[in-house]
Amino acid sequence: MRVSSVLVVMSKEIIDNLRDRQTLFYALLFGPVLLPLLLGGSLAMTFKQLSIDFDTVATLPVRHAERAPELVKFLAGQNVDAVAAPDDPVDAVVSGDAEVVLEIGEHFGEQLRAARPASITLYLDESDKASMRAARRVEALLGLWEQTNNSLRLQHRGLDPTVFDSLDLVTDDVSNDGASGQLLASLLPFLFIVSMTMGGFYLAIDTTAGERERRSLEPLLGLPVARRDIVIGKFGATLAFVALSVLLCAFSVWALFRVFPADLIGGEVRFDAGTVTRALLLALPLAPFIAALLVTVSAWTRSVKEAQTYLGLLMVIPMAPFFALQFLSVRSEVVLMPLPMLSQYLLLERSTLGLPLESLDVLLSVLGTLAASALLVALACALYRRERILA
Amino acid sequence: MIQCEGLAKAFSRPGARRTETPVAAVQDVSFSAADGQITGLLGPNGAGKSTSLRMLATLVVPDAGNASIDGHNVVTQVEAARRNLGYMPHDAGIYPRLTARENIHYYARLCGLSASVAQQRTGELIEQLAMTSFADRRAAGFSQGQKTKVALGRALVHSPRNLMLDEPTNGLDVMATRGLREIVRNLADRGHCIVFSSHVMQEVSALCDRIAIIAEGRIALADSLPAILSRTGQTDLEDAFVSALGLQPEQDT
Repeated sequence: MRVSSVLVVMSKEIIDNLRDRQTLFYALLFGPVLLPLLLGGSLAMTFKQLSIDFDTVATLPVRHAERAPELVKFLAGQNVDAVAAPDDPVDAVVSGDAEVVLEIGEHFGEQLRAARPASITLYLDESDKASMRAARRVEALLGLWEQTNNSLRLQHRGLDPTVFDSLDLVTDDVSNDGASGQLLASLLPFLFIVSMTMGGFYLAIDTTAGERERRSLEPLLGLPVARRDIVIGKFGATLAFVALSVLLCAFSVWALFRVFPADLIGGEVRFDAGTVTRALLLALPLAPFIAALLVTVSAWTRSVKEAQTYLGLLMVIPMAPFFALQFLSVRSEVVLMPLPMLSQYLLLERSTLGLPLESLDVLLSVLGTLAASALLVALACALYRRERILA
Repeated sequence: MIQCEGLAKAFSRPGARRTETPVAAVQDVSFSAADGQITGLLGPNGAGKSTSLRMLATLVVPDAGNASIDGHNVVTQVEAARRNLGYMPHDAGIYPRLTARENIHYYARLCGLSASVAQQRTGELIEQLAMTSFADRRAAGFSQGQKTKVALGRALVHSPRNLMLDEPTNGLDVMATRGLREIVRNLADRGHCIVFSSHVMQEVSALCDRIAIIAEGRIALADSLPAILSRTGQTDLEDAFVSALGLQPEQDT
């Protein structure tokens, strides 16, 4: 191998493709920015909508607040300030002017004093997420108030309130994190792998199948340069784009979770610099593997269109472990570790969840992935040695 | 000096079964092209011109026969043969997102020239081939004539003694064709050995010092134009060509 000719091919392909908008879009924007923003962003937004922060001060439209001064005072103590309600609560909730409206019954005070159930109405809109979230907060507070009142009533009559608690249920989630954390943790390898594949996709096609199609391959192969050097140069250029897009992707995941803090999502998963760096290091051996896969498949095809078709099908491969792991319960096993992609999914997930990693697992994953990459590059070189490559 | 003796090559059809007999593209091609001369390889489409040139360019290994570029065997001394040969394939593509200068410079670097030497050599070629006006424009919008000049510059970048051009005038307009002919003539006058393939009689008869007529994978006749005319007893190359293929020339009635 002559390093100088490898570098000449590599730098030419990089400069050439930096001038191609399509390659640039997929390498610098799609995988690194758009994909994390779409997936992570929408996920974080969903969690944000579902979770309630009891510490923020909210206002609650209350009709006839004067009938329940104690309740209003209690709500104010829980950071919910009663405000004047519109005249037509149904209309206000339906039109979205108010998320929820609380209406105090006409005989609320009398009923309460007589130790009877006191009537109170909460207007909400079940089809509206914001309304449901506000309603859950109000219901939780009303439930708390009710419980306190119940206890007082029982104690008043000389009864121990715990008599009514026949079960003492304790739930203990033994996973380090809830399901949401699990999903987020498997999202990280998914994002990394998809952005790597997309990052090298167009460059790999352009430098191999594209070169055949525009008929610039024949004069190139007629030069006094070893074909192996040409293939390795093209592989190097693809690798540069793949690596660049996974680096940018890691950075944008990190930045994204500065904007949407992970504790909002309710889990222990923290996408801080440490987690993202660890995950990136574990995923990095995949960069040469994916670059080699892209170059080999496009070297085998005859035209850009054919390459796009095959690589399009190939795009399923990075997603396959993601879905397999979502639906099947695959445990991390040593025998699976030399497998590229799958091992990275398992390792990244464990690492992101903060679980300890076996050094043997990591070693097998790195070696297996690098060996597979070397095999694929050798296969690409063999494909370039065929006379048929010119046909 | 380009020489070949009894070259043969058969290809199996893409996707063919193993039992299918391969199609013979070239069966018996022998000719020699001397330095300082333009040798025309004349033949109809599908006669085996491109396959013959590909074998000479070391891109396809012959099934039988021998070929050499300045004495370097194209099968056993590939690197040396390539260093002494500039090859411009039929329809050669250039990189559309690179400028003309960058296209040539890339090949110069690949041929092992240092960055500064490559730059100098590229500059010389741009001047020699009259490309200055478009040298620093990206090749995407180039005319066929401009593209051919870039491809020719690329083939000449390592200053080879021998040059093979496969149907270089395809798609060129009259002025571009004349310009190219002039360039090729100049190169031959400077002592280069040039092999020029074409299916256009007029072009070959106007430009070439020697002509090898190829049909159905065999060289039917190889000589200078006057010798070919006298050997076939014809007065123009077209009739001589038809006669050489063993067919009856058209009779004037």
